[in-house]
Amino acid sequence: MSAAALEAERLRRLADVMLPAAHGMPSAGDVSAIAAYLERVLAWRDDLRAPLARAVADLDPESFTVERLAAYHGIDEEAYVALTTVVAACYYLSPVVRERIGYPGQVAKTYDAFAYTAWVAEGLLDPVMERGPIYREAP
Amino acid sequence: MTDRADALIVGAGASGGVAARRLAEGGLDVVCLEQGDWPDRSAFPGTRPDWELAIRRRWALSPNVRRLPEDYPVNHDDSDIEPLMYNAVGGSMIIYAGTWPRMLPSDLRVRTLDGVADDWPICYDDLVPYYDAIDREIGVSGLAGDPAYPPHADYPLPPLPLGIAGRRVAEGHNRLGWHWWPEPNAILSAPYDGRRPCVQRGVCTSGCAEGAKASTDMTHWPRAITAGARLITGARVNRITVGAGGLATGATWLDRDGVEHHQRADVVLLAANAVGSARLLLLSADDRHCPDGLANSSGLVGRRLMMHPFSVVTGWWDDQVEGWQGQFGASVTTYEFYETDPDRDFVRGAKWALSPVGGPLNHILPMRAGNEVWGADHHALMARTFGRGASWAIFGEDLPEESNRVELDPDRTDGDGIPVPRMHYRISEHSRRLMAFHEARAAESLEASGCGDIGTASMIPYSGWHLMGTARMGADPATSVVNDRQQAHDVANLYLLDGSVFVTSSGVNPTCTITALALRTADLLVRSRRRQEVPA
Repeated sequence: MSAAALEAERLRRLADVMLPAAHGMPSAGDVSAIAAYLERVLAWRDDLRAPLARAVADLDPESFTVERLAAYHGIDEEAYVALTTVVAACYYLSPVVRERIGYPGQVAKTYDAFAYTAWVAEGLLDPVMERGPIYREAP
Repeated sequence: MTDRADALIVGAGASGGVAARRLAEGGLDVVCLEQGDWPDRSAFPGTRPDWELAIRRRWALSPNVRRLPEDYPVNHDDSDIEPLMYNAVGGSMIIYAGTWPRMLPSDLRVRTLDGVADDWPICYDDLVPYYDAIDREIGVSGLAGDPAYPPHADYPLPPLPLGIAGRRVAEGHNRLGWHWWPEPNAILSAPYDGRRPCVQRGVCTSGCAEGAKASTDMTHWPRAITAGARLITGARVNRITVGAGGLATGATWLDRDGVEHHQRADVVLLAANAVGSARLLLLSADDRHCPDGLANSSGLVGRRLMMHPFSVVTGWWDDQVEGWQGQFGASVTTYEFYETDPDRDFVRGAKWALSPVGGPLNHILPMRAGNEVWGADHHALMARTFGRGASWAIFGEDLPEESNRVELDPDRTDGDGIPVPRMHYRISEHSRRLMAFHEARAAESLEASGCGDIGTASMIPYSGWHLMGTARMGADPATSVVNDRQQAHDVANLYLLDGSVFVTSSGVNPTCTITALALRTADLLVRSRRRQEVPA
């Protein structure tokens, strides 16, 4: 196994601890988050490669826990941020995960630009209007 | 067309674009130097699944994070707030939220009314015709009749949707007897002036691919160019040049290859934002005319920097409100606690704007309210909160202090070897009291609107969108940099167009007022053109 593959394998195992299968959600490994999206994530965030490699080297998957992750924040904040950003970004790029949390992405929606006339007519603004002006007069 | 322009504008953003159009349509030969490029809307990341990654690097709000060739670094090591800006045609409007509130009458009279800071040399009524005009040029969506303001002309377009969260907060405020109003936004709710309307994607601050959110690359530059304005991109100005009589003669600038050019002009107008314009005035010092910086006989260039302290109070409901969707921008605003109340331990106030919370990364990484949670509890947190929240974004009025300033960094330079700006900025104790009060009221607002969980991110450092005050307006040359026409006291053919001229910050988003002021200055310049002093 190449060094890069070994690093990815360690990262995959860390990700499974950070995002395990629970509460009806798949684990990071269940959706192949790291394998499928790591390079795409790092294409946007090339600056994270070095601190991510540091985190992967520092944190032993055999003994890794969320408590150790929290403690790592105080040891190497930059590497911590790289790890959490990359793992979360890979996970939430998975269509399976997005569907499970009910997130279709930032989709375009149509609406009636004149729908406001209905809530104005219904009286939603009446309490505001009935108070009258609230600004201060100024010379 | 000659190599000596009637007017040279530095910066093609909000104020530069507005002024260029008015000046060019008024018959002046206009040249504008812009260090950025035309924005490529097809490259805006908001339609991509990975947009939340993009906004953490290439599309970051901070030039220090983005580090594009057209950006210059800003040293903010000694600042409580990090400055945010964008260098392109359209300027920081490319990444602003697009909320479009006017200042209130009291904002321009804080010395008279509240005994603090200074009054502006102009009043609210001076601005009203320009607010009305700029609303039409920009294409503002809103609803007239807000009792927080004196009556004014209706907006050209109907308000954007309240959304589920906006409706709930409106009802909550009605229960509390508190003010609320649909937020005016420089975002189209319907087709306007050849542009398409907002589609509620909620990615306004990483560029609006639809072109619904106004920026001058769409709203002003095409008309300015049609009227004859020349816009040179990739042009980094490093000095305003001054002639024997003390008048500005133009500017030197560097192209992308580092080759220096000089553009001559009768009148020079700076529109590079309150950090960039102050930097340029300081860079233009010369031993003969202005050893401390151009137009700086008052010593105030770079001083009185204001950036609104910014807090976010987020509430989560028990059910889905599609909290990632909607204009960003804002749906609802309130001025309930905007004006001074003598019973509080501070003067002035803050404006709130109700905004979406973002997608999953913005939700779970520490960008807004809320803490990171990992392990099985991560999924529980997401199930309980994702898509169920909305945030009150709170901008507090920032009173001017001379110790808050921009100066030239003696050690660091940008990619062209030009000293970068260095900021010294502290959030005052007064501002901290103001913000604490507003954060508590915002939590009450969300509670009354039905939110079960509420989180506060107090005075977020990564929030310096609103850059103001580094070349203040005033009647007295000893205590101000420009007069009420935004003309430098020391240099009769030099004008400042951007937020640097603000005397006080108000508590509202400044771009509406920056553009109204720029339109006013350009309009007055066109009308008084024959009386304008120019170099021989």
